[in-house]
Amino acid sequence: MNRTGTRILGKNRHTTDKLFSLALLLPAIFITCAFILVPIVDSIYRSFLDYRVRNIINNEPGVWNNFQNYLNLFSNGKLLPSMKNTLIFVFGVVIAQFILGMALALVLNTGIKGSRFIRSIMMVPWVVPTLISGLVWMWMFQAQYGLVKYLVDVVTGGRVTDFAILNNPATAMFGVSCAALWKQIPLATLLLLAGLANVPDDMLEAAKMDGANAVQRFFFITLPYMKSVIKVTVTMSIIENFKQFPLFWTMTGGGPNNSTTTMAILSYREAFVSNNFGSGAAVTTVWMLMMVVVVFIFNRIFRNTDM
Amino acid sequence: MKKRALALTMATAMVLTTACSGGGGSQTDTTAAAAAETAADTEAAGGEEASAGTEASGEPVTIQVANYALLEAGYDTFWEGVKTGFEEKYPNVTIEWVTAPYGDILNQVINMAGGGDRVDCIFSEMIWIPSLVDAGLAAPLDEVLDEDFLNDYYPNVLEAHSVDGKVYGAPLYISPFVLFYNKDLFEQAGLDPENPPTTYDELLEVAPKLAALTTEDGNKVYAFGQPTASVAVVGSSLQSFAMNFGGTLFDENNQFNVDNQGFTDAMNMLQQLDELGYNPQNTKPKDLRNLFALGQLAMYYDNTWGFNGVTSINPEAANFAATAMPLSGGSGDGQVTLQSHCFVAVDNGEAQLEAVKNFIQYVISPEVLEDYLANIAPAYAAKGAMEDMDAIVNNEFLQGGQGAIEKAVPVYQFPTLNDFNLELCALGQAITVGKEDVATAIEGFKSSVQSILP
Repeated sequence: MNRTGTRILGKNRHTTDKLFSLALLLPAIFITCAFILVPIVDSIYRSFLDYRVRNIINNEPGVWNNFQNYLNLFSNGKLLPSMKNTLIFVFGVVIAQFILGMALALVLNTGIKGSRFIRSIMMVPWVVPTLISGLVWMWMFQAQYGLVKYLVDVVTGGRVTDFAILNNPATAMFGVSCAALWKQIPLATLLLLAGLANVPDDMLEAAKMDGANAVQRFFFITLPYMKSVIKVTVTMSIIENFKQFPLFWTMTGGGPNNSTTTMAILSYREAFVSNNFGSGAAVTTVWMLMMVVVVFIFNRIFRNTDM
Repeated sequence: MKKRALALTMATAMVLTTACSGGGGSQTDTTAAAAAETAADTEAAGGEEASAGTEASGEPVTIQVANYALLEAGYDTFWEGVKTGFEEKYPNVTIEWVTAPYGDILNQVINMAGGGDRVDCIFSEMIWIPSLVDAGLAAPLDEVLDEDFLNDYYPNVLEAHSVDGKVYGAPLYISPFVLFYNKDLFEQAGLDPENPPTTYDELLEVAPKLAALTTEDGNKVYAFGQPTASVAVVGSSLQSFAMNFGGTLFDENNQFNVDNQGFTDAMNMLQQLDELGYNPQNTKPKDLRNLFALGQLAMYYDNTWGFNGVTSINPEAANFAATAMPLSGGSGDGQVTLQSHCFVAVDNGEAQLEAVKNFIQYVISPEVLEDYLANIAPAYAAKGAMEDMDAIVNNEFLQGGQGAIEKAVPVYQFPTLNDFNLELCALGQAITVGKEDVATAIEGFKSSVQSILP
């Protein structure tokens, strides 16, 4: 076969590969459009309407209400505190989760005795449904007869008898964060542990021979090699905690004094307590934009992940 | 090539299985997804579809009754008995329960209706009525129930279950927020167990003695309990608390107005009780029931059926629990709000409505409710036909709070009442655990409810 024939054959094969790739991508594109993009566009559209439960039940279209849903949100003073609470929760939990998860992963990676058993047992919180986790932690933190109150009483020798983490607006968010960390750290640890396996031992050994101490080896070799795993782990954590609802609803209901009212709680109350889906959609739209901005910034920071 | 064909086949299969997973249509969940994270999680489980087109009364009719109580210990047996008894009396009617946990049932009903599957009847809290009316689900009961049956209700009870002058709820029984108190703790504190306080001033006099007590295992005893946690029904309780002082949240024209002395007095008292450590902070009704049952709470406000929750924790509580009239404070005379468990009917056609009418009128009768009120959930009569029932007249526990019914004032019912109540809870939290100044907190409350006022 001459060179022209080979080129034509190569071109045909290239076109066929492209078509085949497209055929493989089509289901994913279809599913993304049908189940993600269309609902998002629909939700944004409804956020500009007076759209309530009766509209759905009676199959009546919503009515354009001149941005009233957004105006109400900004005028009633609920939106900004909810945004602030959401960001505090997300950043607090994501950072704590990463630090604690990494610490656990490093410990387990040393192959200490019983590490296999610990790896198995530590997944239990992750398996427990979030709602159940919320209920368990709510009862543990219960202010009058909870286990934590009792333990604090015993440990302090009776000096602190009224420990009530969920009752204090200043500490309630920390209480919910404890429950979130308890549930989410196992998965983060497991992912980071898998990432640690990718760090080449010869590099660590060479660095050690060159005189690098443990801290230097961790920051200049281990962490850079784990960058891609860290990016995935942290992104998952950001998204998981941005949309955290069951823990807040079961443990505090957004209280006390709205100190744990996040965007998820606000959205639920607007849509399903007030039965105002238009207003709920407006909260969801702002919420989604927040998440997009945070993930975008995060991705910019972690742009170069290749090693 | 084979690999490509396999990949293509798998991709197609993925699309088909995903598409199929969205199915489920208008089937009904009858199996109670108790651990459902949200009402939306509840899936269909193959119930027989109601025969809405049935017209002749003798033809088989299936009615779907939404009822959270079937998932609650102590109530399930009664409701299964109701189904058996009713189906024996009306052999052409089959009851199909639609269940979900208490906190999810309202959304369950609304979500089902949104999907085209409307239940026929709802066992409802009184405060859910406006949401159901707003959703277009509740049928006016003067078009459903017999005139005699409806007119037998007390006028203030009918008014409490009305929206815009139309009655939408048929209560099985009623209860104001009455004062539960522990006679044993009163005795231990050297107080007369037959004479509980009648005013908040008297409460402040006896509270130090009660708060000085401890339980046998050394736990603190709280003198008084008024819940403030973020639960809609707690908002109703706080409305009742404000009424004790003559406070109101809406004026006679149903315009929002909390600029009255009674409301401010009530909030000041709530703050004072918190600062003195008499009131356990940020509690739900079930927290107070727990504390009361375990002898850690001397007095608290509850609906009389809360007695069931108390005795299910500690059966011995029946020996020390008693009710009393709600306290009065400031210039108020101890007025209260009313609560009930009621039926709401949904108009799904003539045959369904007829069956629902028979069902409601069957259940709300002395014969069916006698045992329930005597042994499960003590409460007061909502209508004349029930006022002489043994379970009510001879129930010693109910006696102390009996007069509160005459002081019961209907609460203004509007579609966002539940959210409004949650904001009221936030106000209660602001002046207690939030340590905010009462006047500032009330201003914050006024601002936060503006967008949800009718």
